[in-house]
Amino acid sequence: MTEINLVQAVNLALARAMAEDERVLILGEDVGADGGVFRATDGLLRRFGAERVFDTPLAEAAIAGVSIGLATQGFRPVAEIQFTGFIYPAIDQLANHASRLRTRTRGRLTCPLVLRSPGGGGIHAVEHHSESPEAMFAHIPGLRVIIPSSPRRAYGLLLGAIRDPDPVVFIEPTRLYRASREEVVDDAVAMPLDRCFVVREGSDVTLIAWGAMVVEALAAAAALAPQGISAEVVDVATLKPLDAATILASVAKTSRAVVAHEAPLTGGFGGEIAARIAEYALLSLLAPVERVAGYDTVIPLPRLEAHYFPGAARIAEAARRAMAYA
Amino acid sequence: MIGFALPDLGEGLTEAELVAWHVAEGDHVVADQPLVSVETEKAVVEIPSPRSGRVARLLAKPGDRIKVGAPIAVFENGDHADAGTVVGTLEEGPRAVSSGAGVDRSPVSPEPVRAPAAPGIRTLARERGVDLARLRGSGPSGAITRDDVESAARSAGTAAAAEPLRGVRRAMARNMERAHASVTPATVWDDADVEGWWAHHADVGVRLIRAIAVACAAVPALNAWYDDKATAREIQQRVDLGIAVETADGLIVPVLRDVGNRSADRLRRELDALKAATRARRVAPDELRDPTITLSNFGVIAGRYAALVVLPPQVAIVGAGRVTLQAVRHGEGVAFRHMLPLSLTFDHRAATGGEAARFLQAMIDDLQRKA
Amino acid sequence: MREIAARFEIGCGRCLDPDGKPVGPLPDFAADPATLIGLYRAMVRTRSFDAKAIALQRTGRLGTYASSLGQEAVSVGAASAMRADDVLLPSFREHGAQLLRGVAPLELFLYWGGDERGSAFAGPKGDFPASVPVGSHAPHAVGVALAFKLRREPRVAVCIFGDGATSKGDVAEALNIAGVWRVPALFVVSNNQWAISVPREAQSAAATLAQKAVAAGIPGEQVDGNDVIAVRAAAIAAIERARSGAGPSLIEAVTYRLGDHTTADDASRYRDDAMVTPHWRQEPVLRLRSYLNAAGLWTKDNEEQLLREVAAEIDGAADAYLRMPSQNPTTIFDYTYAELPAELLRQREAMIAGLTPTREAEGVA
Repeated sequence: MTEINLVQAVNLALARAMAEDERVLILGEDVGADGGVFRATDGLLRRFGAERVFDTPLAEAAIAGVSIGLATQGFRPVAEIQFTGFIYPAIDQLANHASRLRTRTRGRLTCPLVLRSPGGGGIHAVEHHSESPEAMFAHIPGLRVIIPSSPRRAYGLLLGAIRDPDPVVFIEPTRLYRASREEVVDDAVAMPLDRCFVVREGSDVTLIAWGAMVVEALAAAAALAPQGISAEVVDVATLKPLDAATILASVAKTSRAVVAHEAPLTGGFGGEIAARIAEYALLSLLAPVERVAGYDTVIPLPRLEAHYFPGAARIAEAARRAMAYA
Repeated sequence: MIGFALPDLGEGLTEAELVAWHVAEGDHVVADQPLVSVETEKAVVEIPSPRSGRVARLLAKPGDRIKVGAPIAVFENGDHADAGTVVGTLEEGPRAVSSGAGVDRSPVSPEPVRAPAAPGIRTLARERGVDLARLRGSGPSGAITRDDVESAARSAGTAAAAEPLRGVRRAMARNMERAHASVTPATVWDDADVEGWWAHHADVGVRLIRAIAVACAAVPALNAWYDDKATAREIQQRVDLGIAVETADGLIVPVLRDVGNRSADRLRRELDALKAATRARRVAPDELRDPTITLSNFGVIAGRYAALVVLPPQVAIVGAGRVTLQAVRHGEGVAFRHMLPLSLTFDHRAATGGEAARFLQAMIDDLQRKA
Repeated sequence: MREIAARFEIGCGRCLDPDGKPVGPLPDFAADPATLIGLYRAMVRTRSFDAKAIALQRTGRLGTYASSLGQEAVSVGAASAMRADDVLLPSFREHGAQLLRGVAPLELFLYWGGDERGSAFAGPKGDFPASVPVGSHAPHAVGVALAFKLRREPRVAVCIFGDGATSKGDVAEALNIAGVWRVPALFVVSNNQWAISVPREAQSAAATLAQKAVAAGIPGEQVDGNDVIAVRAAAIAAIERARSGAGPSLIEAVTYRLGDHTTADDASRYRDDAMVTPHWRQEPVLRLRSYLNAAGLWTKDNEEQLLREVAAEIDGAADAYLRMPSQNPTTIFDYTYAELPAELLRQREAMIAGLTPTREAEGVA
């Protein structure tokens, strides 16, 4: 049994997608000989050649724009943006073009591209390398926004993203890249992109998270159990389009919800989920929907970053607060 | 407005056919910009604008034959309105919607929420039939918790429902309310030394009745009826004594008539009969009416002194407590003697403290006689 | 000691002077009257469409429209050098190129009239729709050209943008990548001297915009943008270069924006009419007509007939546009994703439920 970590699962999925579909291309900075600064594309240049795996100049807007051009011609480009801190120049291409091409040409031109990028903090990096911009992308109509939280889901969701006919922003939690290993079968089976995953069942409170926060939520659930609080953990995985039904069914069962994300609180995607719960599950709520999130500040540099990131302790505390409303 | 006429096309031509306009109404054109193509016999000629300006109106259409010198377009003078944009149109409204600084809603201190309960709790309360408004929440910020609702539901199930008062008890409630609303009560207490006759199994009830009759004769002011509307009192000649009787139904006060003129035996017989009849609910309405003063011998049950309730129009009520053996000053020393505690509550609107005290003393004097 | 590390020179080509007289030997295709007449007809058709679009806008039947008055030679000249299976990525002012490549006037009216069907080209199915965010389509051209190269297809991506666009990062990034990857692309700068109210001299300190190609390591050439023969000749050369695998190049076609930036703009706010007038003597339609007339290739009857034909076609297209009912409002949703997700289906239903009965009666619901 080979157990692999999340970044290896990404690599496995890329290799699988490249092998099964010759339209799949990989481009980005340092993705070729270097195999990507996080080794996500390790070995792919050697295996598939320079016409399928190629380095770009240092130009994030152009990486996205070139991918759009390639996608319209029937390729399936999987472009890497080296860090989500550098994805902002590409937002114009995503918001103004990739996300709109299908609808503004009434389906004549489409854009099946994937922009994958490591995001989130907790890796003691220099400035700008710890961003969580998922809410910005989730706000753009026509995009898909996917964030895996485990090696197995990284494999399955990335395959799904590459096969999807619409543009996808795939944010990989950097701090989970090597955090844990699990067995991932290279079976070319994609996970659905319209589903949240209930990764732990419970009855008292629903903990809703994505990316690295899923790990924290599971740890919080484990800590709550001996305190007599049974927590259900939902990995949102695909933020956009959101599978609200799974979340609402869970909250209908538990009557309490805690949403956790690393990104800053105000304007964060937790607000969208909280609003949906309030809209559709209000009458079953026994407590306000709690949000555990980063503060509305710039992420501090490594020496203080531990104070910023929400973790299992703050999630568990929020769950207890919700329980106190009984 | 400046007109533009078909210019001389030369070569003796007098007219031409308009083939195509190159500008539209509303266009801004500059000098030399082609306005229109016209066809002569020899050529299709593009005619340039003589000036810059705005084309207000085109006066001919393709296919028209136009004479040289005939007006074919009109230019506007002056500036046109600034659209204020480079794409789309900005609508202009008739006047500004009043905005100002807006209403300040910044809360100084938030009002406490009435019956704060999460939606799930409200649903639960509805199911349990619990009125949230009557609960105090034990949760955070006074939130009503599920436990609060459940225990309210439980206690509502076991507690007896509130019992509406009827009959004698209802009458007592109403009478006491009425008394409390009008009477100005004051009470004076004292004891009567009944050692002289106590051991002889004397009839306490009759002795009390006789003492009251004696006292009423001595101080008639306390055997009166007070009319608060007229601010008048009516001193009674007869002493019709109300006797407070505890029955299974509640407090009933039958009346012994003219106790001042009855012998002790007769008093005893009538008292017993009255009590028996009262307890058997056979007392006639006539026998319940119009006491002039009331006696409550609560001491047969328990208690020493009491400030009782004067029921108007009476002005006094006598309370007799339990006889107990007390160590009291007697002669030159101290002796144990049976003492009968007496309470006299009077309506101070109708009687003075002095009158009350003298009444009480008159009772005590009579009670302290050996027979 | 200092050596010269690199030099460059930017040539500027022209075939006809403003009066339509050849200034040197003409390219081979100029010997074919049909080719030249085809160019002339295309420019006149473009200008006629342009005038009609403005007229419709003025009467409230078209949305804001960007006129290409004066720039017809750049559009028509560049597009005329393309093959059918090449891909055009235009800005929002290349109506001449779109029309020449088979976009129907009706489709252009629909686009500027605010109907997405205007970009669902029935003709040139691979061409990109107009790019409104300035210069942001330049990287797309690189991607398209790369696709041709990877597939070994002899196809070229032609990207047209204005002088203002050359200040955009996207354009610099695209030229750079195109150069280093040697993709089969042609970038045409339609330099009409104005970026709304900002004149060329305030846009860049570079002596020419063509020399931005030098920075990307690709050939750059200027051409008289009012001379459709010169534009076509330059485009043919650049496209053949790309098609042969020799890589991308850039052409700066120098022309003039004779109209306003858009129908909502009033250029007299920032430029003197007197400044514009001389450019009317340089304009491309007049120039080619002068040549054709002088060469005996174009008669009055030809002109009249062309004007009538073009008017009939454009008027007919305008009528068809005006008669065309709006799309079903549900099309707001229908192309957002390949398959509508649950939330969008819900929103779509909610919108349908909110439609007024009259719309339903129209059969639109």
